[in-house]
Amino acid sequence: MTRSRAAGLWPLLLLTLVAGCRGCPSPFPPIHIVPNMDHQEKAQPQGESAFFYDGMVMRAPLAGTVARGDLDRAPSLATGRDASGEILAASPIELDEVVLARGEERYAIYCQPCHDPRGNGRGILFEYGSVPTPSFHDEQRRGYSDGRVFDIITHGSGLMQGYAWPIPPEDRWAIVAHVRRLQQERVTAEAVAMAP
Amino acid sequence: MSRAAQEYWRSREQRDGDPSVRPFVEREFQEGASELPEGVSRRSLIQLVGASLSLAGLAACRRPVEHIVPFVRAPEDMLPGIPRLFATTMPSGLDAVGLLVTSHEGRPTKIEGNEVHPASLGATSAWAQASILDLYDPDRSQQVLHQGQRASWQAFVDAWRALEPEHLADGGARLAVITRPFASPTLARLIAALRARFPQARVVGYEPVGDELILRGLEAATGAPTLPLLHPERARVVVAIDSDFLLTGTGSVAHARRFADGRRVASSDGTMSRLWSIEAVHSLTGANADHRLPLRSDQIAPFVAALGSRLGIGTGLALDAGPATFDSAWLEALAADLEAHRGASLLTAGRRQAPAVHAAIHALNQGLGNLGVTVEYARLADAVLPDTTAFAATLESMRAGEISTLLLLGANPLYDAPAELDAAGALAAVETSIHLGLHTDETGAATTWHLPEAHFLEAWGDARAIDGTVGVVQPLIAPLYEGRSAIELLAVIAGEAAPPPTLPEGETADAAAPPPTPEPASGYDAVRATWRQILGTTQSLALDGGWERVVHDGLLSSATSWAGIPLAAGTGATAAPPASAGARSASDVALDLVLVDSPRVFDGRYANNAWLQELPDAITKVTWDNPAMLAPATAAELGLRNEDLVRIAAGDRQIEVPVWIVPGMAPGTVAVELGYGRAFGGRVADGVGANVYPLRSADAPYLVAGVRVERSGSRREIAQTQDHGSMEGRPIVREATLEAYRAHPEFARKAVEVPHTRALWKEEWSYEQGYQWGMTIDLNACTGCNACVIACQAENNVPVVGRDEVRRGREMHWLRIDRYFAGDEAAPQTVFHPVPCMQCENAPCEQVCPVTATVHDAEGLNVMVYNRCIGTRYCLNNCPYKVRRFNYFNFTKHTPQVLRLQNNPDVTVRSRGVMEKCTYCTQRINERKIAAKLEERTLRDGEVRTACQQACPSQAIQFGNILDGASAVAQAKAEPRNYTLLDELLTKPRTSYLAKLRNPHQELAETHQVEGHAPAGSGQATRDHGDDSA
Repeated sequence: MTRSRAAGLWPLLLLTLVAGCRGCPSPFPPIHIVPNMDHQEKAQPQGESAFFYDGMVMRAPLAGTVARGDLDRAPSLATGRDASGEILAASPIELDEVVLARGEERYAIYCQPCHDPRGNGRGILFEYGSVPTPSFHDEQRRGYSDGRVFDIITHGSGLMQGYAWPIPPEDRWAIVAHVRRLQQERVTAEAVAMAP
Repeated sequence: MSRAAQEYWRSREQRDGDPSVRPFVEREFQEGASELPEGVSRRSLIQLVGASLSLAGLAACRRPVEHIVPFVRAPEDMLPGIPRLFATTMPSGLDAVGLLVTSHEGRPTKIEGNEVHPASLGATSAWAQASILDLYDPDRSQQVLHQGQRASWQAFVDAWRALEPEHLADGGARLAVITRPFASPTLARLIAALRARFPQARVVGYEPVGDELILRGLEAATGAPTLPLLHPERARVVVAIDSDFLLTGTGSVAHARRFADGRRVASSDGTMSRLWSIEAVHSLTGANADHRLPLRSDQIAPFVAALGSRLGIGTGLALDAGPATFDSAWLEALAADLEAHRGASLLTAGRRQAPAVHAAIHALNQGLGNLGVTVEYARLADAVLPDTTAFAATLESMRAGEISTLLLLGANPLYDAPAELDAAGALAAVETSIHLGLHTDETGAATTWHLPEAHFLEAWGDARAIDGTVGVVQPLIAPLYEGRSAIELLAVIAGEAAPPPTLPEGETADAAAPPPTPEPASGYDAVRATWRQILGTTQSLALDGGWERVVHDGLLSSATSWAGIPLAAGTGATAAPPASAGARSASDVALDLVLVDSPRVFDGRYANNAWLQELPDAITKVTWDNPAMLAPATAAELGLRNEDLVRIAAGDRQIEVPVWIVPGMAPGTVAVELGYGRAFGGRVADGVGANVYPLRSADAPYLVAGVRVERSGSRREIAQTQDHGSMEGRPIVREATLEAYRAHPEFARKAVEVPHTRALWKEEWSYEQGYQWGMTIDLNACTGCNACVIACQAENNVPVVGRDEVRRGREMHWLRIDRYFAGDEAAPQTVFHPVPCMQCENAPCEQVCPVTATVHDAEGLNVMVYNRCIGTRYCLNNCPYKVRRFNYFNFTKHTPQVLRLQNNPDVTVRSRGVMEKCTYCTQRINERKIAAKLEERTLRDGEVRTACQQACPSQAIQFGNILDGASAVAQAKAEPRNYTLLDELLTKPRTSYLAKLRNPHQELAETHQVEGHAPAGSGQATRDHGDDSA
């Protein structure tokens, strides 16, 4: 009698063990029986290292160092400034359809989430998080020089981070060209709207 | 013509059929290779396994937690995973090597040559390749020490400021600086500033191994201390007199490249230079010689004198009164050859020879019209030269209490100064001694202050190569520890202030007055201040980006070489020469001890570099030791065998080293490498080999005459690789004389008959599309310098296994250099034979792998899939070329954190139980292929360069697409000298060799034909090889 009742409890216990553990978070990392060189004694990009005090294996480049290829670009193209350190008035690159298409594509990747496709500053981040983003189409920003726009993309402005790291200078100038086109289209549209 | 295969031998034991080497030939896995290390019994193993199994469910099997640590503000131009290249310069005594360093996310990982550097043209030495390991050396000095206690730089600067007034008051009469010799504009400027501030201070250059004797000899002959710049590519006859200009001599990278250029024979009507070598110790240069005369050290000066008198050129050397101990026919042939090539010959003497010999060599070069053609002299600007006399005088003053503050810049006299100078006693008499060094070495442990030095990859600087090229030392990473450079230290001592804080790129720094409390100039400021002067004199540079362009290129390209220094007309060495160093007593039983600069650890500065310690020496194939090298005949006379421990005694000082018999050593000579036997060198260096410096005297630094050598009775096993990977009796290396080659251009291909018409395995792939990678190695260009071996190790994360494992035949070098001797063991001929993976199209290894861990890809690479490998080692057993390496242990498990930073992130770090081998640097191929694909083009020839090819000073290695008929590798493979190893197996190797050529002199040509020695088991050579492989 007792034995059979106890036997009847076994499936319940098993069920509790198996089902009860499902969905429970474990404080331990997963079991990994065969190491198989999945984790190696080398420094991976963006990895951590116990050697450096900040825990990063990536080290910032030292001031004044010049890597191979760093001088391939004209300094004004790379920095957006002329020899005396003044911000350029006009874009140093030749504009054509390829550059404009590239600018539109890069804009869609890096700028659109905040600035929206038209440059009104009502991107998806504004919708979700009410991140205040200025429009390109006010008087002040229409008056910015090409170099000023490039400088803002490079170093950021206000809440905006600098985008020098993910976007090479040529692409930044292409985005500048695209922003200029958006502004120009709005000016033309406003003029048409005012005309009749 | 060419030799039969049986005439080559790897070691005397192998040639004579000594049973001790049979295991290395017959057994793929050495005795004990599969067993556990000593001291682990089967029982304890089961206990260990049981313990680890019971722990299995706990922490051991959990996946390690890894975090992503990105930049908060990512720097421009640094993409994770995309390496960048920085040009820099490695200072090396009075010379410098231009480098291009690969940086992965701001960490330097690999050193290559700077291809725009006019001296090296992109090549490097093994030392330059290995210096990346020195940067990450965990034993480097990490903190400022005061009396052995931790202190800070500020504490040191304060202490110096307290000492300063006293030295300023007496003009620095009680201040001395002992520095390693250097050629650097900034260091020279700071030394000048120091001298201006302390006019009485002494600044002395001291180095244990250097070119002081050459400088003194050429100063006597030409009026200025100088070093020769050789142009062997312009010479038809090159004579090396006790000189190792191809490996350890100053400027060797450039010299090796030019020497190889003079010996490239593209077609069967090509010509090549002829190298004669006269030396006591078997050096790499001697091994490359067409004619080599082993001659005792003290006979070399008489030989030069005899050569001079034969040529009718006054050398100023005294002729030996006694009977000539050298072969007069040999001398006659050499003299005839030199006479026939006046103005197109070159003589050079090594750094061990006395100044009088160098003066005589200058006279000979002048008399033969070589000066300005094949021999130029360097203008040693911005340099502090070595001066042992001044060094000894300074030590004397120290002992007399005349010096109160001593500054040691990189020098380590307590380890390497001649014993009779008693550097330790002198140092103890100084009140304040300051030592700047990479390690807390023998000297650093004894000084009042020890300051950690920054590695050259950590600090700004500049350096001049001997051809005059000034290079910038650009840092690749911020100092890992508290290190600072000699420039930064001298800026403190010389009182150079930092420029007032303006714009970082400000050019108006010198206008303003110094601030009231001047900060010492940073290394960058000091170097910029020097270069403002250098660039100011070169107007054209302003147009070209100026300083940024110099840093980018790594050198100032417009102010480079010059056509030699002006020489005082007719200054032959007419003055009475100093007595030749170390005159020997007439006794015949006394031996000469020659102290050799090590091709691995040099003077001891690379002693803590495990790559160099494990690098088999080019000639002896010894690792992890500095044995006493003896000629076979001398060893027989003394009754010594290999690995017998002997006591070498000079006066009352003695050392104990094992014997290593080296064919080709001069009789009556025992040679030991310097730089070993460190006490405070670091974990790798300490206790390896014996320190020979105590036997040295200041008068004759490289020769101790009349030493006693006696057996101590015991033996010490030497870890050496000369019998490893033997392919006995088969025509592995092929060579011919230039004349024979002209008559039979196809000699190499016809050296073996290929018996099979069908391959052993079905050929399923035709390899006719895309890129098909192949390599050629020109044995005629290869000098055997080992740069490729270290380059491969650095690129491919090849582990170091240690002395015991090398002894068991478990060394891991993917690329080994086999050294073969041929002929008379008193004066053998040598062939170097680099062996990487052959990348066979019909690879025998692939057929036997049960888990397809080694397979072929569509581009002809025999690839390893590491994580499929279960370690059966069948592939290794089946490889006819013995190029596979097995991880018997987890050699990388305990890699210190800092050393992990050196590993190439693009290459797997292999674990225990995994087979590995050369992959033709497949990661480099893929990196370039991705880059080309992004640019929507195909790869250009020469775009992919393997690590070994890139490092090679003599450009012996070509690599590329063999389907592209215009590629360098396809053209090399079309040469008649091209042959593949073990052709008869029809494995279709992608790596092929260009046979070696020799250019013997007509009159000595018959001695070139040596009778063959049948090696042990030579019967195998004639057997049909297909049978034993099938």
